[in-house]
Amino acid sequence: MDIKEKLKQGLIEELNLEDVTPDEIGDDDPLFGDGLGLDSLDAVELVVVIQKHFGVEIKDMEEGRPALQSISTLAAFIKEKQQE
Amino acid sequence: MQKQSEEKNSWSSRSIGSDWQHQVFYLAIKLGGRRAAYFMLYFVVAYYVLCRPLARERASHYLSRRFPRRYGLKRLWHCYLLILEFGKVLVDRAVVGILGPESFHVSLDGREELLKLRDENHGMILMTAHVGCWQVAMSVLEFLQRPVNMLMRHEDGDVDRHYYEHAGIPCPYQTIDPAGYLGGTLEMMGALKQGQIVSVMGDRLLGSDKSNTQVDFLGGQATVPFSAYKIASATGAPIVVFFTRKDGPKSYHLQLTKVIRVPQIKGRSAEAFNPFAQEFAEALEEFSRRNPYQFYNFHNMWSRPQSQTKPTDEES
Repeated sequence: MDIKEKLKQGLIEELNLEDVTPDEIGDDDPLFGDGLGLDSLDAVELVVVIQKHFGVEIKDMEEGRPALQSISTLAAFIKEKQQE
Repeated sequence: MQKQSEEKNSWSSRSIGSDWQHQVFYLAIKLGGRRAAYFMLYFVVAYYVLCRPLARERASHYLSRRFPRRYGLKRLWHCYLLILEFGKVLVDRAVVGILGPESFHVSLDGREELLKLRDENHGMILMTAHVGCWQVAMSVLEFLQRPVNMLMRHEDGDVDRHYYEHAGIPCPYQTIDPAGYLGGTLEMMGALKQGQIVSVMGDRLLGSDKSNTQVDFLGGQATVPFSAYKIASATGAPIVVFFTRKDGPKSYHLQLTKVIRVPQIKGRSAEAFNPFAQEFAEALEEFSRRNPYQFYNFHNMWSRPQSQTKPTDEES
């Protein structure tokens, strides 16, 4: 399973996104606001999920803001961090 | 619930007084010190309590729960005392900035415990409330030798100044805007991961309704935020409940009231974090019982009408 699929699966399971399947989450859909509809508390959980499933830590706002835009940006961030 | 939501949206922390009225007090402090400003305050507060219904209305949310059997002139008297004490805190804040921090004696309970909590290296969430003078707490936390981040909004129209603005010194803490990206949660987590201090108001609603929970408070169901407990759960940071009270004309006392440890909790259900918010509410209720005129949250925290709330026993 690639990073994007694993991310979608993790999001659904850990954030209890009922009635959402991985296929329904677009790679470039915004995670917050109008897209997937996540909010600030989900962001906290998301940071924990990324650390738990990928061993990658989002340390601060500078890292987090661009990374948390969509599944694509998040996957790219994780890949980059894992290669460091 | 709808009514409360409407009230929340219409409420703001903007100052009731205008800029020139504040300037008069600042001038009084410069010319005559704290006592001169207090002297003016007795008359100004009387005017507000008697002639400004908004002041009475804002104070009534708390007073009707704290003193449920007091009506008419007795309620008016409680209102006067509450707003007078609030005015003194605002004056004191200005005095610290204009005349210097040595104008007040500040005592602190819990210094050693705070140092131990700091050394756990999970950061620290300093949870205070609209009681006493939290700026005094901020001004004495230097001994922790950690940056302090304050979750707060400075709204347009708020002409009241913080003590550091009076003193013309840089703001001693970083501010995190709850209206910023993702409600400032990433900034808070980032600060905690670096072992810093994040200060939040446990009794102030800032985020969406989905981040709130209901707790028993002063005989009714009050709405408080639970985001801080979720962040504590995610980072392992202890929540330090910290209240300040004015315990004399020229002195304040800071009390580490309680340490709340939130274990790792999956998900974001309000029910899961409610017990921790209730712990905070109990500490706050105890404070308001001991210091009835030092509770300055003028937002209506209670969602149920007064007729559905249980009266409290103490009305002293």
